[in-house]
Amino acid sequence: MENRDPVKHHCDHYDDSHYDSMRHRKYGSEEVDVVIVGLGAAGGVLIRDLAKAGFSVVGMEAGPFWNPQTDFASDELYAQRLAWQDTRLTTGSDPLQFGSNNSGRGVGGGTVHFTGVFYRFHKSDFMTYTLDGVGADWPITYEDLAPYYDKIEHELKVSGPREFPWGEFHGPYPYPEREPISANAQIFRRGCEALGIRSTTAPLAILSAPFAGRPPCINRGFCNQGCLPNAKFSTLIHHVPEALRYGAEILTDSMVTQILVDRDGRVSGVEFVHDGRTYKQKAKLVIVSAFAIETPRLLLNSACGKYPNGLANSSGLVGKYIMPHSGHDVYAKFDQEIRLYKGTPVMAVSQDFYETDPKRGFARGYSLNAHGSRPVEMASGAAAKASIWGKELREIMLAYNFFARITVVGEVLPNINNCVTLSDEKDEYGLPRALVSFSYGDNDRKLIAHGVAKCNEILEAAGGTPAFVVPDTAHLLGGCRMGKDPETSVVNEFCQSHDIPNLFICDASVFVTSGGANPTETIMAIASRTADYIISHSSELFSRDKLMLKAVHHLH
Amino acid sequence: MSREMHGFYPDYNVLDHADQWDELTREIVLQRLNPPVVLSHLNAWEQKMIAKISEHLVYDDRGEIMAWIVSYFDTQLAADIGESERKPDTPPQNQLIRDGLRAFDHWARMISGQGFLENGTQIQFQILSQLQLGSLPVFDQWQASLQKSLFTKLAGMVIKAYYSHPTVWSEIGYGGPAYPRGYVRIELGLADPWEAKSEEGCNGKPGSGEASLRPL
Repeated sequence: MENRDPVKHHCDHYDDSHYDSMRHRKYGSEEVDVVIVGLGAAGGVLIRDLAKAGFSVVGMEAGPFWNPQTDFASDELYAQRLAWQDTRLTTGSDPLQFGSNNSGRGVGGGTVHFTGVFYRFHKSDFMTYTLDGVGADWPITYEDLAPYYDKIEHELKVSGPREFPWGEFHGPYPYPEREPISANAQIFRRGCEALGIRSTTAPLAILSAPFAGRPPCINRGFCNQGCLPNAKFSTLIHHVPEALRYGAEILTDSMVTQILVDRDGRVSGVEFVHDGRTYKQKAKLVIVSAFAIETPRLLLNSACGKYPNGLANSSGLVGKYIMPHSGHDVYAKFDQEIRLYKGTPVMAVSQDFYETDPKRGFARGYSLNAHGSRPVEMASGAAAKASIWGKELREIMLAYNFFARITVVGEVLPNINNCVTLSDEKDEYGLPRALVSFSYGDNDRKLIAHGVAKCNEILEAAGGTPAFVVPDTAHLLGGCRMGKDPETSVVNEFCQSHDIPNLFICDASVFVTSGGANPTETIMAIASRTADYIISHSSELFSRDKLMLKAVHHLH
Repeated sequence: MSREMHGFYPDYNVLDHADQWDELTREIVLQRLNPPVVLSHLNAWEQKMIAKISEHLVYDDRGEIMAWIVSYFDTQLAADIGESERKPDTPPQNQLIRDGLRAFDHWARMISGQGFLENGTQIQFQILSQLQLGSLPVFDQWQASLQKSLFTKLAGMVIKAYYSHPTVWSEIGYGGPAYPRGYVRIELGLADPWEAKSEEGCNGKPGSGEASLRPL
């Protein structure tokens, strides 16, 4: 019988290019050029780009190698297995939720269960300190990422409006906007129009017309439970199959427990556990792309004699400055049926409140996404986060079809006290669990209050009656921020660690500020830029003689 | 006390179209109608406690749905894949739930001299309400913050299971699984022929059943 255990599950697809057991590893005890830890939004891009350039690359993934056709179902409860469910300890005055809220597990990572919303960051996002005196400036500008945003949007055939009114990119998108849009998106746009707020259809990494053997979206609505028709992009179905064709190896169900360090202080590969046994993969270059929690956790857990405070941590900033997005869900009730279950969850958006407006009394801003919801998400959010249960909840849910929802994606300013550290509690591998501390700041709270009020205004203008608000968060960024100064950042603008030149950290953890928009496209653009840098500097990066441990000298 | 409540869709049954669903989804959903009778982790008293607490949290007392919720708890307690997140001062899920059920009994005895299940609805409900606020008497490790953690854990699991039951889907008019079929008519006022149509709308407005009879 097929093994559906989400922990010990080894599926065999992509014939001939997938290992069938640890006895048939492609490289075994050989040293490869690159090992990548984590195959989500960033890791997927990196493994494909580097394999295509001819390097020998191994991708390590703690979770399974999903097969959408046999592993995904149209069910919220069943789909929880797509999330990273290993326990993380959560604390602070606004303790974060993990699992399906923000963390993926298995090849494709979070791209398997994201909503497909594909925003670029704005120019201002990279210079909030200069412009607004808050946060910190990035070592890169919008212009540095623009060619990578272009490239990715074209490669994935992102669908979107002919004219996008905000930020630096105004369309058109490679594929036409989605048509029709859902009732919930129509309600949102109607409310915005009545108030003079600009709105558009959403830019989505979801097909509006066939591409590469994949069909357009069928409006099934289960983006967060894994796309069955493969209309929604994920690195699982797009980048990873290409990486395999270019010769990359993927080792799944393999939890990396340590990054190895040689006598000279360079990294030399990784140690990992598969089915209870420990193995090694040697590599000239290690890239950690394991998400804003597991990346700092692995760096801290890899502490050794040479680096007693963890790898790449001479600044002491590994794990610091983590940022979710405030993600408050605002529900209103209507006289007619909206049916939040139908269609791609996000089909209309507004960024009219994205940039700082001094009149509002807080810095930075947010996106508004018309956002569908399914019964489990709506009811459990109301109960666990809005204290609605018993008869009141049952009455609300009997009228489930009459509710509309808008979600705020709000910028959260970086704060050094919001951080990932190691706890005293051990996991199944004997490694300390992550302890994640988060509290909103004053600016964050003012921004949330403004965003929630705006959602209610829009819903009322569309004829609804504001009903309840679920104080949620989305995404997690930061923890290994990039910067020019090794004393105030962990990696440089190309995601190369300041301390160890053959150790790269490339995922959501390098974000300096959070922006007020869904971050997947920016994560992928940064990964693509990092891949280009590694390819163009390979003669230096892959030669031990040329690769000087600059930062280690700086340490002593 | 009867907890019968009427929704907008008395004639809709989401399972009428289960033959249109993909095989894995159908198998997962239909299993919820026939949960195992013998459970492997929860004892008989724990099962009764979870069923009773669930009745109050979801305001429904249909035995077949409560049996599915109890079986969901049993499989969750058996799994070792983690609980996504937990506060540092909160014990792991299994211990929190098991100790929590015993604490319910302790609080009930402090209030009425009888165990939780021996009490009537009013006291049972009062205990849950106070648990949510963390305002039950403190004993052993049961500080206010742990009381709230227990409430959040139980409410989260019960409500996730309840709103995964196909009988509840039918009642609320949720279209449910839609692969490979998908949806065609997604705009305001439109519905595919097999979706739930309301006899009456909200606030005295005509239902979608009426609307679909009107010429376009």
